[in-house]
Parts: sequence; structure tokens; C-alpha cells
Amino acid sequence: MSRVFIRSAGAIPVGEYWTKSIGDLMADAATIALDAAGPIKIDKIIVGNMMSGYANHQEHLGALLASSLGMRGIEAIKVEAACGSGGAAVHEGYISIKSGEYENVLVVGVEKMKDMDTPRTTKALAMAESADFTQAVGASFISLNALLMRLYMNTYNVEEELMDYFPVIAHRNAVTSPHAQFRRAITVEDVKKSQVIADPIRLLSSAPSSDGAAAVILSAKEGPVEILASEVATNELIIAQREDPLKFLATEVAFKRAMQKSGISASDIDFMELHDAFPVVAALALEAMGISKSGKAPQDAANGRFDLGSELPILTFGGLKARGHPVGATGVYQIYEAYLQLAEKAGQNQVKGAKVGITHNVGGVDTTSIIHVLRRVD
Amino acid sequence: MISGLIPIAYWRNRKIYTRMIGSRCRDCGAEFFPPVRVCKKCGSRNIEEKEMPRTGALIAYTKLTEPAQEFKEYSPIYLGLIRLDNGVNVISMIADADEDSLRIGARVKATLRKWTEDGNGGLIYYGYKFKVIQ
Repeated sequence: MSRVFIRSAGAIPVGEYWTKSIGDLMADAATIALDAAGPIKIDKIIVGNMMSGYANHQEHLGALLASSLGMRGIEAIKVEAACGSGGAAVHEGYISIKSGEYENVLVVGVEKMKDMDTPRTTKALAMAESADFTQAVGASFISLNALLMRLYMNTYNVEEELMDYFPVIAHRNAVTSPHAQFRRAITVEDVKKSQVIADPIRLLSSAPSSDGAAAVILSAKEGPVEILASEVATNELIIAQREDPLKFLATEVAFKRAMQKSGISASDIDFMELHDAFPVVAALALEAMGISKSGKAPQDAANGRFDLGSELPILTFGGLKARGHPVGATGVYQIYEAYLQLAEKAGQNQVKGAKVGITHNVGGVDTTSIIHVLRRVD
Repeated sequence: MISGLIPIAYWRNRKIYTRMIGSRCRDCGAEFFPPVRVCKKCGSRNIEEKEMPRTGALIAYTKLTEPAQEFKEYSPIYLGLIRLDNGVNVISMIADADEDSLRIGARVKATLRKWTEDGNGGLIYYGYKFKVIQ
């Protein structure tokens, strides 16, 4: 089986693109990655996207991108796994190379959420959950996370202030992140004073809705970064049907498999791009991976354990919270960011001497979890 | 207007929405809501219908100020994660709630209420909502 390398990567800044279409965003990101790759022949295009049909009245993104790039005849498909669509697309690209059938695969993650108003965005996000038994009873995606956060805080006796260190870390790292949506620092006090959306979740403890696109070119030919493992796992779709709603089973299983297959241990990890859609998601993910003890991840965050320059930096370019969260593109942005770190192209956000990085992308509330292990090629 | 509820899907699920019909595994006795095809405890497909108990306790709650399209006019809506008296968890809207009435551990009871409607002259959708009783 072939080894899988990242030959090049590119992304447009996450933001609000009123003058561009979803097709423009994908093509812009793909062009950056293609220009950086040099003269190679792409064998396949995989697009990660969650909601283009509902948000932009556009499906068939594989063919759309192939057409706009002028790649006549190429194989091209779209992959969907809610907010984990980007990670899932990279996974499918990884498997394609690994199989030996393809030499170079272009993976693009894209989402254009700002074509919708807020109630429509809320509806689109809720489609990650059961139409019949979650959406029908009025529950939105954020409200499920709010219920989980309340349960977490009550079970482990954690104050809201402690949860707010995750957005604080994200925003601090975004200040010097060229492609971040919100390049300003915030304090725990700012989070506490911000508007409540679904208590205890506030505007500043919730990932934003965003437009964005990121691209990576995976190759069987050696490049600066190698993907050592790519694992996908699922949890019960309906969180009320989980034996323990505070157990992130999908993250736990995917992480364990990824560690086994890559042969690295948790102590080898130099940084982690975590799916911090809400503070409780970041906390439960770190606990499911065994990086923090149950109920202790917020305290670890408050103690500085996850800061840039500390033991295990997370969200090194701002995470979902501050880099922004164009849902189906997020997983590819994470790979782009890990590539920048491992190729020593991270500028002021560089994790010194980074050799091994992890990306953690989630669809739904830990419903699908995708873990990638990446290593610098020396 | 785009409705969040598909009329034919509502009709399909009416027993579940109005009487809280779930499942019971004939082999291991585990109960589920909403209904399942395969027992999540033992893997058996030997499943029968089972009406859920109407009472339970609130284990988490939230006040949602930005609901989806079809619930926008009822904003804010209160949602709860409820543990029914048979140990099954269910997520539901909380009827007649305000910020002071909700606390973890509160006893709740299922009632039949309006969920939403398809604008003027459209269908009105009814289903379970829970209400704090003490």
C-alpha cells in the first residue's frame, strides 16, 4: 500500500464573501494549492461540504469544481458528514492514495453559509441530527450542545467561567493567524458578558457561521508532510439514546485506532487542531482522548496547559471559534493548519520543533469523529 | 414559507409524537425512545412497541433564543433533557416554562401541545411537550 503525503495546501481567509459564489470559493482555494504543487496531474477531486443544497441551491460540487478548474474528464465527487465533511473528504482522499489506484488527489472543503439568514442557518445545522426526533421537537444544533454543557457543568461541578478558557485560547491564537475570521483577543469577562444564545452557551462561546474554502493535494510521492493515520468513527445519532451523553465514543474510538495505526503515543503529539465548536465539545473530546481527566479539561485549559508554547498547544490558528467554522470546510482547514505547522510555515503561530500533529474534526455532537495523525518528513 | 416538518413524515410518526410509543427488546428487556430496529444493548431484532411512562426528571435544560425557521415565532423556546421513570432519556420542549421554573431534578410530566404550524391555513402539528409538576 502507498504511503500518503501532503504535497501542498492552500486556503482563503475565513470570512463573509458577499461577491463570490460557492464555486468561486472552492476554485480560489484549489488554485492556491495547485499553484504551490507545481506541475502534477490530478487524478481525482473530492469536495467536502455539508449544506450546499440547502444553503446555496447547488449540489454536484465535484463536477462544478472540475468544470471551473478546466479538468475535463476527471473523476470528482462530494463527501458529506455534517460538520465533519471536510475531515471525511480528506479521509476518502487518503484511502484513495493508500489503495494505489490514484497518485494525486485534490481535496477541497467548502461552505458558504452567509447566503442564508440566521433561522435558515439554524435549520441547516440541525440537519446533522434526526429530522423526525430532534428537529421536529424544536431542538437546534446549538441547543443540544447547551443541554450537554449544562449536564457537564452539573455532573463535574464546573463553573461557566472555567469553560470560557477555550474561546479565550482560540481568540488569542487568531490574532496572528492570517486566515482567521476574528483576529482579536477576548477575555473570560468578555465571554461572560456576551449575549446568551442557548444558555449556558453565549455568542462568544459559540463557533460562528462563516464562508470559507481550503484545499490540500495528497500524493503518493514524498512531500514535506506525511499522513500516518486517518480514522473515522461514529456515535449514536440521537444524543438522548446514548448510554452516557457525556462520553464522546466516536472521538475515543477514532483516536485510539489512529494512535495504534500510526504507532505514536499521546506524549509524541506536539499540537492538536481540535473541533472546538463549543467549549463543552473541546472539553469532552480532550477527555475522550485521555489527554485530560474526566471533568478536568476546562481546568487544564485555565492552567495554560494548551497555550501556544506550552505542553500541548491546541487551536494554533484560532480553531473553529476564531479562525471560523465554514462547517464542511473546517476539517480541511485543520489539515491545512497542521501542514503549515509541520512544514514550518506557521509564522508567528509556529509550534517550535513540531514533528507530530493531530486534527480532530466532528460531525454532529461527536456523531462522526475524524482523527488524522500527521508527521513532518525529515 | 419553508416548513421544518414534512406533513407526510409527521403523519408517519403520529403515534410516536402523540402517545410516545417507543420500543422494548423482547430478549433483554431494554427500552428505547424513539423506536429502534435493533436493540442497542444486546443487538437483538426481536423488538416490540412499548408506550413510554409519562413522568420523569429534568437532567438538563436550555432556553433557546434562536430556534430554527419553523419555531421562530415561538421564541424563546425551552428545551429539556429528561430522564423518564424507566431510565430512557428524551429531549423535549418544556411547556409553560420560564427561567425560574427550571432546575435540574425537577419532576416533569408529558402533555399534548401544539408544536408548530404551516402558516395561515396550513397544518397544525401537535406532539409531546413536558411540563414541570414540582
